[in-house]
Amino acid sequence: MKARIRTSARTLAATALTAALATALAACGSSGSLPAPSGSGSHPAGAPTFQQVIDGAPVAPDSAIPAGSLMAKIKARGTLNVGGTDASALFSLKDPVTGKLTGFDAGLAQMLAKYITGKPSVNLVLVTADTRETLLQNATVDSVFATYTITPARAQKVAFAGPYYSSGDAILVAKGNTSITKVADLANKTVCTESSSTAANDLKQYAPSAHVILFQTNAECEQAVEQGRADAYVLDQALLLGDQVRDPKVKVVGQPFTTEPYGIGLPLASPEMKTFVNDWLKTLESDGEWTKLWQSTIGTVLSGDAPTPPAIGSAQGS
Amino acid sequence: MTVLPAGLHETLGPLGHGLQLTLAMTAIAFTGALGLGVLLAVCRISPVPPLRALGTAYVTVFRNVPLLVLLVLFVFGLPDVGLLFSLFATVTLTMALYWAAFICEVLRAGIRTVPLGQAEAARALGLTATQSIRHIILPQALRSMVQPLANVFIAVALSTSLAAAVGVAEMTGQAQFVTLKYDQPLTSFAATTVVYVLITLTSGLIAGRIERKVAIRR
Repeated sequence: MKARIRTSARTLAATALTAALATALAACGSSGSLPAPSGSGSHPAGAPTFQQVIDGAPVAPDSAIPAGSLMAKIKARGTLNVGGTDASALFSLKDPVTGKLTGFDAGLAQMLAKYITGKPSVNLVLVTADTRETLLQNATVDSVFATYTITPARAQKVAFAGPYYSSGDAILVAKGNTSITKVADLANKTVCTESSSTAANDLKQYAPSAHVILFQTNAECEQAVEQGRADAYVLDQALLLGDQVRDPKVKVVGQPFTTEPYGIGLPLASPEMKTFVNDWLKTLESDGEWTKLWQSTIGTVLSGDAPTPPAIGSAQGS
Repeated sequence: MTVLPAGLHETLGPLGHGLQLTLAMTAIAFTGALGLGVLLAVCRISPVPPLRALGTAYVTVFRNVPLLVLLVLFVFGLPDVGLLFSLFATVTLTMALYWAAFICEVLRAGIRTVPLGQAEAARALGLTATQSIRHIILPQALRSMVQPLANVFIAVALSTSLAAAVGVAEMTGQAQFVTLKYDQPLTSFAATTVVYVLITLTSGLIAGRIERKVAIRR
């Protein structure tokens, strides 16, 4: 994602407060709908569960891990240090009961850990859009899986493997709304988005006559749509789908109207890691592991077949 | 600096609009808070126990919750009980309710500055509690409250920036928009800062003038 969690220091405390409260409010408003889509919930018949996908993930041959490489260091440590989040439904969400992370990003991180060390052992470091580059540069984390959009500017500071997933700005509306199905329908409508997201800019380009409201958090935007304060909410489709999972009063309409290629952030100082991770991604894609992971996570809410993964190296900056 | 930042011209328009909203919110919220604050202060000093309890309860509730939390509560809570007002109205109302608690306390402190003998003299003259508050105590008390009230006014003006967090595109909200568009956070927030400082300095100066005019030499 471009900037969902890019929170300026100025508003950090404010965001935390509002997030807590808005979440509480949202919980009251949507009468007992539980968050946390579990891998075993509504997934299509025949699709593997999240755990099955991880269990079936490959392990790298010893020859793929040369001595002195970052991979060898991770293998010796036995754990992959991952920068990510635990609050993004479908991508990386912590189950409050078991403490386990599920989702597309979380799954990939565990599979990469297993590929290198033999077991899906991941040490999650929570990152924000402000800290991702720094944590990679100072080697706090070996990799970042955080709906991290590849951009040429970011590629100056970190290396990107992938893209492994392609998302884009989509539209979320209240369940009963039939007047908005595509970006052109946003003309003259009230549209909200997160204040730190670049979706506000995309709106200027794609729906210049829309009246844009900026809220601090995802929960607030969702609430505004539910309450009729805003006609629509625009953000990365992947994140809006997460809202749709948690809240039965809203739905995602149409197809994304921008392209956000997500990459795996890696230290620029270890170029061998980027080659290694790209090779691993290609293996996952050709062996069908990528599709299985998609089916057990994003595929549980998105109808239709798994998409074709974007070509490795196709994004500017990857 | 010889070269103007990119998009300066297009930037000033939205920021100007944001400034209008900021000033309107400040004026309306402060006026509302002053009216309600006077009522609350009268409650708090009144001889009627239930009124005193009401005033105390109000101040305790509103003064001990962060304004941002109140804003989120009102903006996202009111529609849930069927009251969907415009963001501007909701936010301005919330600020008036919040700052009324502070103004009440400023007034109460000001009333304490009126010597007790004044109240006793009023009573000795046969004035009722209401009459002595209205004709003897408040007119004197208000004069010692000019600076404290100006401080609250400045706080109200600065607190309008919190409205940006709940979607009102006042000056700070517009600065966020401009930052998103031009990626020049320093420029837009520096301009915004200058305007806030101008607002607060001006109100400080005006308060000083008023104070000199109405001061009671004792």
